[in-house]
Amino acid sequence: MPVLEVRGLQKSFGPVTAVEDISFSVEAGEVFTIIGPNGAGKTTTLEMIEGLVTPDGGTIGFGPLTWAKNSEQIKVTIGVQPQSSALFDLLTVEENLDLFATFYPKSRPTAEVLEMINLTDQRDKHVKKLSGGQKQRLAIGLAMINDPTMIFLDEPTTGLDPQARRNIWDIILKLKELGKTTILTTHYMEEAEKLSDRVCIVDSSKVVTLDTPAALIERLTKEREVRLALLDGEAAAIETEKVAQMHASVVRTERDGSSLKLWSTQPEDTLYELFGFTKDKGYRVEQISIREMSLEDVFIAFTGKEWRD
Amino acid sequence: MNHSKQFSNMFVAQIKMMFREKQVWFWNIFFPVILMVLFMIIFGGSSSSEFKATVAVADPQPNASSAMMLEQLKQIPVFEFKEEQPVSKEQGAEWVEQKDIDALIVLPDSESGAALQVIFNKENEQGASAQAISGILDKFVQQANLAAAGAEPAFSLTTESVSSGADDLKYADFLLTGMIGLSVAQGGLFGMVELVDMRKRGLMKRLRMTPANMGLYGLAGMLVRLLLGIIQIVILTLIGVLGFGANLHINVFSLVVAFVAGGLVFNAMGYLFSSLSKTMEAYMGMANIASMLMMFLSGVFFPIETLPAWLQTVPKVLPLTYFVDGMRDGLIYASGVASASFWIGIGIMLLWGVVAFLVGSQVYKSKSIAATR
Repeated sequence: MPVLEVRGLQKSFGPVTAVEDISFSVEAGEVFTIIGPNGAGKTTTLEMIEGLVTPDGGTIGFGPLTWAKNSEQIKVTIGVQPQSSALFDLLTVEENLDLFATFYPKSRPTAEVLEMINLTDQRDKHVKKLSGGQKQRLAIGLAMINDPTMIFLDEPTTGLDPQARRNIWDIILKLKELGKTTILTTHYMEEAEKLSDRVCIVDSSKVVTLDTPAALIERLTKEREVRLALLDGEAAAIETEKVAQMHASVVRTERDGSSLKLWSTQPEDTLYELFGFTKDKGYRVEQISIREMSLEDVFIAFTGKEWRD
Repeated sequence: MNHSKQFSNMFVAQIKMMFREKQVWFWNIFFPVILMVLFMIIFGGSSSSEFKATVAVADPQPNASSAMMLEQLKQIPVFEFKEEQPVSKEQGAEWVEQKDIDALIVLPDSESGAALQVIFNKENEQGASAQAISGILDKFVQQANLAAAGAEPAFSLTTESVSSGADDLKYADFLLTGMIGLSVAQGGLFGMVELVDMRKRGLMKRLRMTPANMGLYGLAGMLVRLLLGIIQIVILTLIGVLGFGANLHINVFSLVVAFVAGGLVFNAMGYLFSSLSKTMEAYMGMANIASMLMMFLSGVFFPIETLPAWLQTVPKVLPLTYFVDGMRDGLIYASGVASASFWIGIGIMLLWGVVAFLVGSQVYKSKSIAATR
């Protein structure tokens, strides 16, 4: 039974439709990522699920609990890190955690949370003196202070440098180890691919597709880009290109000097044949790569849009 | 959930936030102190000490009348003579020019029916001292005339200022209590900018996602501001009493009633401003207009009676008028809570508070804060 079930969610702000039709369900313990460009309706969807915005239509159920009947119970079982970190700037890290802890009937010990978000050394620092990544970690810490079973993270890594992003990924993976259900939104494909059990692509206020990252990539055309470079000059490359073009699974080739690019529906077979040829001729080959399809390709394939951060 | 524990934690957290904010110290403590000290120095001097004028006498052609007048002038207590003996007219005129003396009195040069002349510096001609000296001398001449005619004056005028309570009320007391009223009021009017700030930074939303009791949070914030008000009262009073010799006659009960009522009213007005403003700038604009208008119309620096007659009805509807009055009742008049005007004042203030609060919460509701982010 899903721990969160969203059906036919709709929301308009005046003439602007923020969410047109969004449905999905989330299973206990998974990392569920909603991905999509700015303005796709990610944040509005989250805010409806978090009980901040009342939907115009559709239903939201936390198992048997709904916002209309069980808002206090739901608030206790979820933890939220909103997009704007929303911290008390003039309090220290520890004071922020302690203050939020008193809002809940039961809470996780502050020291434990500090440890998880790796801010133990900064516990006495005022929030306004923290770096962006530290603030974001504190915001996640506040979302964990009530030891919730479900955690919402709204673009936790936007605007952070790569190291700070990795620190946040570590926290998300720790949450998963603890068996928490995490609902994440992000701009970054890499992040969705790395962290999520399932990815929901949202565009223009609707769900475009929803599946595991691997399955989504699998569903794309089988054509893969293969690159190789020959060490024996242009003539050898031209010859090899001709051989590749004769292979049935090769759709297209491209040559730049002695480097070749080819697109094949069966890249392993194509390479096997090419290596047979180059071995016979005694050509030396280096820098062979088969480019993995990424969620970025998935996104482009499903939305027809160029990806932009 | 343990409400009292939640409340005390919220209270402590908000105290920390308030006192760690340098702006709070500046606007609520230093600024009112500076303003009060300036006003005390500029306007407090002349009325807090007795009137004295330094004069000199010239007697160009000594005669019987002038000798007698000189004797009598010396009896007037407010005149201090730079030289016991008459000086030359030129010497005296020079002193006047250099402002060494306030006036030169030139005695009549013949025994009968000649003029008594007074020379002032032109710059000071309209000043209080010049007016007073003229008045005194005018009366002096009248008496001299009566004496010359051999008549006894039938009527005389003695002037004495009174205030409703203690008889040693001075401008320092008036200004001190006005400033206390003003700064406590401003604490409320400006303090609620915090709500706009919290809304802008998403903290309001964040708190609404927790089971936190927002009513308790607001109440804790209100108490913190009342605490700040008490600190303002203590600091301003100490400076007023120790630095400027203000006299207090405290009635604790009426002071507490007026203070709490004022705290609530100006917080409620701040709350209304916060509901109407999307940005902190908008809030500050509204609070500034309200505080400026009331500052000059509510008898903070000068009694309302000094306003032009047509303007005197305005202070009668402003809450700050009654708050400052309440502070004065409690701090310097020591008038109890028995008077009807005290309760009418409290009533008018509370009416403002209730209306501001109700309108504010209605605006908040109709805007559905979540949608306005």
